[in-house]
Amino acid sequence: MMKLRIILTTSVLIAALGLGGCRQKKDDGEPKRMAVIVSTLNNPWFVVLAETGATHARDLGYEAHIFDSQNNTALETDHFENVIASGFHAILFNPTDANGSIANVAKAKAAGIPVFCMDREVNSNDVAVSQILSDNYSGCVALGKYFVGKLNKQGKYVELLGLVGDNNTWNRSRGFHSVVDNYPGLVMVAQQSADFDRNKAMEVLESILQAHPDIDAVFCGNDAMAMGAYQALVSANKHKDVMVFGFDGAADVVESIREGKIAATGMQFPKLMAKTAAQNAHEYLQGKRDFPQKMPVAVELVTMENVDDYIAYGKKGE
Amino acid sequence: MKKKVIKYSTLAVAAVIVLVNSIYIADLDKIKAENLSKTFDPASYAADFWNNRLPSKLPEAVDAGELVRMLEEDKESAFDNYSNALGIGNIRYFLISGEGVVENVEENFVSIRTGYEESPLEVHIATEYIFGNAVRDASGIIDINEFSNTMDFNNISAEINRIIRARVIPPFKEKVKKGDTAAFTGAMELNREILNLERLEAIPIELIIKNR
Repeated sequence: MMKLRIILTTSVLIAALGLGGCRQKKDDGEPKRMAVIVSTLNNPWFVVLAETGATHARDLGYEAHIFDSQNNTALETDHFENVIASGFHAILFNPTDANGSIANVAKAKAAGIPVFCMDREVNSNDVAVSQILSDNYSGCVALGKYFVGKLNKQGKYVELLGLVGDNNTWNRSRGFHSVVDNYPGLVMVAQQSADFDRNKAMEVLESILQAHPDIDAVFCGNDAMAMGAYQALVSANKHKDVMVFGFDGAADVVESIREGKIAATGMQFPKLMAKTAAQNAHEYLQGKRDFPQKMPVAVELVTMENVDDYIAYGKKGE
Repeated sequence: MKKKVIKYSTLAVAAVIVLVNSIYIADLDKIKAENLSKTFDPASYAADFWNNRLPSKLPEAVDAGELVRMLEEDKESAFDNYSNALGIGNIRYFLISGEGVVENVEENFVSIRTGYEESPLEVHIATEYIFGNAVRDASGIIDINEFSNTMDFNNISAEINRIIRARVIPPFKEKVKKGDTAAFTGAMELNREILNLERLEAIPIELIIKNR
């Protein structure tokens, strides 16, 4: 029994020393490393976010590696463990879940690795160094005002929600409803999640149209779903009768607005968010410590009236 | 042997009982809602902001005509000195004031001709679409970092706008007529990069009909 205890204790000590050795960050003259952990690379918006963050980190002299969480918090946890064990110096992070991701950020903080959230927040003010977030609520308030005006305060509509574990889903929905729900002539006949996914949005709307064929508009929590919804309407030959509203500022939707196919979107600025996160991480590693915990980034309404001022994910001339 | 079986069985049963009683399953949305209602009341916060904090900022409102002149002469300085915004980006908010003649009373707005005699301008006072963060943000009073969840912060705007719709708009709209002289204080949103001064719109904070 005593022998077993000695073997067990020695094994634990060796393992602890080994992990401790792994956690030591490289400080041998090689470039420091930033990890970009993004919720998914299956959506072009997040590809822009991740690649801009990585590119800006490299421009600042860091090695940068992108990790795709595939919208899976468990996989995100694996990435964090990998990044911590491999000795990265900072993390640019796009969470999969506002509550579920807190533990991952806390682990990184405990390991001495600063985390900078991009686009999505975690519901804690003392784990990440700073959180750079799109002002989704205000963006959808502006969209809601435009929606009410375009429908002349009456009509039937469908809402397609994003991922239910993402605060952005609810910020956008609530911003929209904070306007639209004041108009009893506007009736929401269906509200369903399509997980921010184009194909799922197409399937969900096709199904909804079976029960509600005479809708006037669809509000989608992101542009990928807006394009999927538009596809469903084309298949049903209703695309000229039903207005589609999205959110993000993706290239295909900006072009579709120009062509009169999509009514409007909320333009986010993923490049600005990612660059700011990378810059903040760099300044942190240089010694700066006073960062605002939350930095909202204004979202701008893009419609047929002003689409010529915009390109995908930004403004002309940027 | 029999004693060992009884001993280990008892331990196993005890372990299961402890484990089962250590785990509680509750609806996450319900817990979130309970926590939200316990910790933050946006209506009370908005009422305090409206009654106790905002009034002291109103004398700092810039005259609308003067602001347009400054924006035309030096846009960057005008934005730097007179606008507020909580984060980064091009949308910013101004506290503005003015007085002039009511030009139009429409379903969604009342327009007031104000500004200088040589360069008059029309400010559209929103009376229907009272939404957005203009009043919350233009004053520069509130700090987003007071809130751990941005939804709490967003709800403040909704409550402020509810106050405006209930207390500011109705007494004004009941009485105002074209040709009246009216004074206003309000909040206006402008885009720093895509500046459009052709149609100025303000969310009202104070509205006074001066000739009646």
